[in-house]
Amino acid sequence: MKIILVDDETKFINMLARRLSLRGMDADVAYSGEQALEKAAQTRYDIAVLDMKMPGMSGFTLKRKLLDQLPDIKFIFVTGHGTIEQNGVPDQFDDIFLAKPLNIDTLIDIIRQRINPDQ
Amino acid sequence: MKRRPLIIKNQRWLDFLFHRPNIHLASFQTISNYPRIWIISILILAVTSLSPLVMATFINNRLIHKSVDSELVLQTDRVTSNAKRSMRFFLEERLNALRFIVNELPYYSLIDNEHLTKILSNLKLGFGGFTDLSIIDADGSQEAYAGPFNLEGKNYKTQSWFIQSIERDNFISEVFTGYRDIPHIIIAVRSQTAYGRHFILRATLDTQRLMDMLSSYKTNVHTDIFLLNRSGIIQTPSTIFGKVFTPAPIDIPAFSDATQVITPENNEENAYVIGYSYIVTEAVTTPFILMVHKKKSDVMGTWLNLGKTFNWIIGFCCLVMMVIITLVSTFMVNQLYLADQAKAETMIKMEQSQQLACIGQLSAGIAHEINNPLALINETAGYLKDLYQYTGEHRSDKEITELLDDILEAVSRCGTITSQLLGFVRQFDVQISSVDVEKLINGILSFHQKETEYKGIHVTTAIAPNVPAIETDRGKLQQILLNLINNAFQAIEANGCLDIMLSHLPPKKISIEIKDTGCGIPEENLKRIHEPFFSTKKEKRGTGLGLSITYGLVKKLQGAIRVESSEGIGTIFTVTLPVKMQKEEKA
Repeated sequence: MKIILVDDETKFINMLARRLSLRGMDADVAYSGEQALEKAAQTRYDIAVLDMKMPGMSGFTLKRKLLDQLPDIKFIFVTGHGTIEQNGVPDQFDDIFLAKPLNIDTLIDIIRQRINPDQ
Repeated sequence: MKRRPLIIKNQRWLDFLFHRPNIHLASFQTISNYPRIWIISILILAVTSLSPLVMATFINNRLIHKSVDSELVLQTDRVTSNAKRSMRFFLEERLNALRFIVNELPYYSLIDNEHLTKILSNLKLGFGGFTDLSIIDADGSQEAYAGPFNLEGKNYKTQSWFIQSIERDNFISEVFTGYRDIPHIIIAVRSQTAYGRHFILRATLDTQRLMDMLSSYKTNVHTDIFLLNRSGIIQTPSTIFGKVFTPAPIDIPAFSDATQVITPENNEENAYVIGYSYIVTEAVTTPFILMVHKKKSDVMGTWLNLGKTFNWIIGFCCLVMMVIITLVSTFMVNQLYLADQAKAETMIKMEQSQQLACIGQLSAGIAHEINNPLALINETAGYLKDLYQYTGEHRSDKEITELLDDILEAVSRCGTITSQLLGFVRQFDVQISSVDVEKLINGILSFHQKETEYKGIHVTTAIAPNVPAIETDRGKLQQILLNLINNAFQAIEANGCLDIMLSHLPPKKISIEIKDTGCGIPEENLKRIHEPFFSTKKEKRGTGLGLSITYGLVKKLQGAIRVESSEGIGTIFTVTLPVKMQKEEKA
């Protein structure tokens, strides 16, 4: 299972990547949409954790572009904008939104759910 | 819009006069001085509606008085003229009879007493009103007499009537008593004997006859007809001025042989008119002035009373109109005031909600900015903890792990606060879409799956088969359910139950019931749970915003929320929502 984390908050995303790898999850980081696309061209990711609001490319734009490259990829959006009404609950496009600050256990639960919905 | 009932309660009736000035409200009111508007409106209405009435009444009164006056003058003129004509005829007739006698009969037969007595009785028969006859020669001695008094041989040489009558052909005296002490009038004609000596045929007239004739013209008690002589002495009795031979207390009018009517300037109470005419026959000028005195108030009483009644009616109408005007003005101004106040209150509410929106936006902005560093703290502290836990180093150092847990706990609390602040701002705009409530509930429950298993909570969902998808704001409904379900999970102890029931309330509503077997809410807190910042979870982690936001959101979705709770048994929250939410007009 390959995960890509995209956020312009570099320290935050590095910490998150390290914590995930401590829990046995292989997570790459990208600090911008463009970087994420480059990485996606080389690696086949199963799931992308995207910040909604980034300088340059926004989370939604990145989602569309990533879907072009990897049609099966799943998405989890992370936002400081406090989209509490959709906290952890899929919207009509089947995306999941999580508010910052994240609970690492919730994140892992959701990642697992997304990849293996049957469990 | 909700209308105030038209029947205004007593205490609201004069609100605009007795309201306590509220500076905050006043700044939003269109009109500041309601008592002034009230007075102005009463004045304008009163002037415009009453002045034509008052003017019409005034003109009417003038007309009535004028017509009364002219009618009175006319009546007086008529009576005076008729009486004058009769009077003149009465005197002329008798004078001519005497003239006929002296011309027809020779002097010697006239001085025969027997013959004279016969003539007198013939005159009495033919004309009436004669008392006696006598022949007086130029020296004033009475040559012959016929009549009831014993006046034979009297000499009238010094009597003023004799002096006057010997100088002219015809003479009529004023009323006087003379030798016989009875009021009478003398008419005399002068003639000549065969020897060219003057002599006088004198007749005395009964004044009673004259008085009867005059009083026949008295049409009513308010009319007085009498004779004056030229020096103002009353000649026939007057009902107003008294007995014969007393001077009348009125000015002697200027000579006129045609009928004249004088309207003296006098006060309304005793107003009167006087008609008069000097009695002048063709043959002789008499000393008499015919006077007719008519009292206005009594004669024209009917007319004047009508005018008075009319004035009273108008006065009453004015009073009634003033009362109506005052009532209507008061009512209208009060309505205006109430409407204005309602408007001002609405504007204050709008201002307050705008302020709230501003605060919400501000706090949302701050919350967003804080969330990013908070996330970094969270991950860093988490990573530190991970390092201790996963690498095995310092694993025994419980204190550090506990401190890190404290940091994570604090960050989590901050996260709750910021996300709820963000929730505040989202109360303001509504986006309507079709929502499958069942799917929504399942989505939220799946999020809690882990906790369910961990705590051993029995979750049951009972969805009625016919529940339609509803049109509402998806995000807000999601947050309502999320808040209520979160609350339930926090309240439920291990092995508790959570029941969610979704049902359709035909035709236009659905109901969502969330029932937990948690700790329940004490009765005294039930009323306060929707107040912002009211929380019983102080020691745990509550901001007191959750239920407050939920209540606001349900209201925003045009729904209702009800709570039943008994301590120790559990709580039921019931949310009713419309199937089709109405778009609210933009304020």
